[in-house]
Amino acid sequence: MSPSPPLLQVQGLSVRYGSVLALDGLDLEVQAGELVALLGANGAGKSTTLRAISRLVPASAGGLFWGGRPLLPLRTEQTVKLGISHCPEGRRVLSRQTVAVNLELGAWLRHDRAGVSEDLDRCYTLFPRLAERRRQLAGNLSGGEQQMLAIARSLMARPTLLLLDEPSLGLAPRLVEEVMGTLADLHRSGLTLLLVEQNAEAALAIADRGLVLEAGRVVLRGSAADLRRDSGLRASYLGS
Amino acid sequence: MDVLLQILVNGLSVGAVYALFALGYTLVFSVLGVINFAHGALFTLGAYLTYLGVGGAVGSNGALAGWALPLALPFPVALLLAGVGCAGANLLVEAVAFRPLRRRHAEPLLYLITSLGAGVVLVNLLQIAFGAEGYALPADALGDLPPMLTLAGARLRSVQLLLLLVCAAVMTVLTLWLERSRGGRALQAVSEDATTARLLGIDSDAMVRLSFALSGLLAGLSGGLVGLSVSIAGPYFGIVYGLKGLGVLVLGGLGSVPGALLGGLVVGLAEAAVPGDLSGLKDAVAFAFLFAILLLRPQGLLGRAPITKV
Repeated sequence: MSPSPPLLQVQGLSVRYGSVLALDGLDLEVQAGELVALLGANGAGKSTTLRAISRLVPASAGGLFWGGRPLLPLRTEQTVKLGISHCPEGRRVLSRQTVAVNLELGAWLRHDRAGVSEDLDRCYTLFPRLAERRRQLAGNLSGGEQQMLAIARSLMARPTLLLLDEPSLGLAPRLVEEVMGTLADLHRSGLTLLLVEQNAEAALAIADRGLVLEAGRVVLRGSAADLRRDSGLRASYLGS
Repeated sequence: MDVLLQILVNGLSVGAVYALFALGYTLVFSVLGVINFAHGALFTLGAYLTYLGVGGAVGSNGALAGWALPLALPFPVALLLAGVGCAGANLLVEAVAFRPLRRRHAEPLLYLITSLGAGVVLVNLLQIAFGAEGYALPADALGDLPPMLTLAGARLRSVQLLLLLVCAAVMTVLTLWLERSRGGRALQAVSEDATTARLLGIDSDAMVRLSFALSGLLAGLSGGLVGLSVSIAGPYFGIVYGLKGLGVLVLGGLGSVPGALLGGLVVGLAEAAVPGDLSGLKDAVAFAFLFAILLLRPQGLLGRAPITKV
């Protein structure tokens, strides 16, 4: 038993979309400072887990706790206020706004002007491409730049926990490497991350631990090193 | 030349009202993707509230027959209060006709029925309270301003100029607010992608309420101004404006703020160009014009061509 409750605790969480059980009794803990990878094929329930944590979808059973405090009664906006930042699948940048406005809206709930402009500078240092394009409409950025913008925008909330949904999706291998490198840097700087990925190899290379989901259930869990060595995992769940 | 200028002046002042009207529709449409059909009724409410505000008494047919405020407010104050009252009324419309449906993720078509219903109820309440007769705001509502002005050869009623100025001011402020302020940008974020806006911590319900309040304010202001300009023809007088505002909305391009402005001015000018002895055909001309433009540009003048989402 750990003395203090984990940062995020998911207990027997189930989510139902109509008659489909998308998540079936998921147990998951994330300790402060960890990078946990949530792996599995398309439709395994990875995105649903993140959407449940940020309260975009209702839970049909189970519990969600943030430092021991129940998350289920909260609304999405309130989870952001607690320190949970969810970078959604498909980037979802605000295409009709400039890069700078996208980033400023990422800090919507913050009122510390000095801190926000400090974080803005940090984002531009982390992603120099965004600094070059700060006055351009986000819709005109390339896919890789949009992904960087989406991550930077999530960081502007100054989160404690960053939820990332398929940040490598649709990116060229060189860009996947770049994005994963950035996530590893963020992890090293003390940020807690829950990373949903289909690209298991790339995710396990930077994660501390991993879980593999299949049909809404955890079928494997372990340290990233163990999972990387597990040839059965590669064959049966990760399709490689 | 003078005739052209006269048409321009008349067209702009009528068009400004249509634009204000369409802008009210646009605000709600851009956030919710549905049209608030109670908007015309709020416009009517704005006209009646302004009438009461300047000290007008209820006629003999209404349930409130003979009732008047104990004091007569100056027109600008009465107009502003009417706008605020309509903002409140539109929040009520949102709570009754929109929010329950949103909670159930209802079909967009259903909002048409509930908002139309809310509008009908509102108009009927007005009819019960005020009767079906017409009301005219006192001619001296504008105080010492001369009733007519001459501007470079064109004759202009002071009311028309006021209409034009108020509409221009409101639209400038609103556009600046939408484009430049934090709140305006958040509203646009909800309009583009409500889910993502929530993930950024933006309370989309609050933004929906804000858009309804602003939209109600615009309806109330335009109602009061038109009430002063052409008098209140009875509780149903908002319907024609409501329909024309919808036309303007479609003409300009659904959800486009500059489109609402341009559409309003275009329809206003088209009407003003109808010669005086054919004035009965004004509405027909306006809608025929609308029809013709939409044949050429189905997405409206400034609307985005429909994009298929991937």
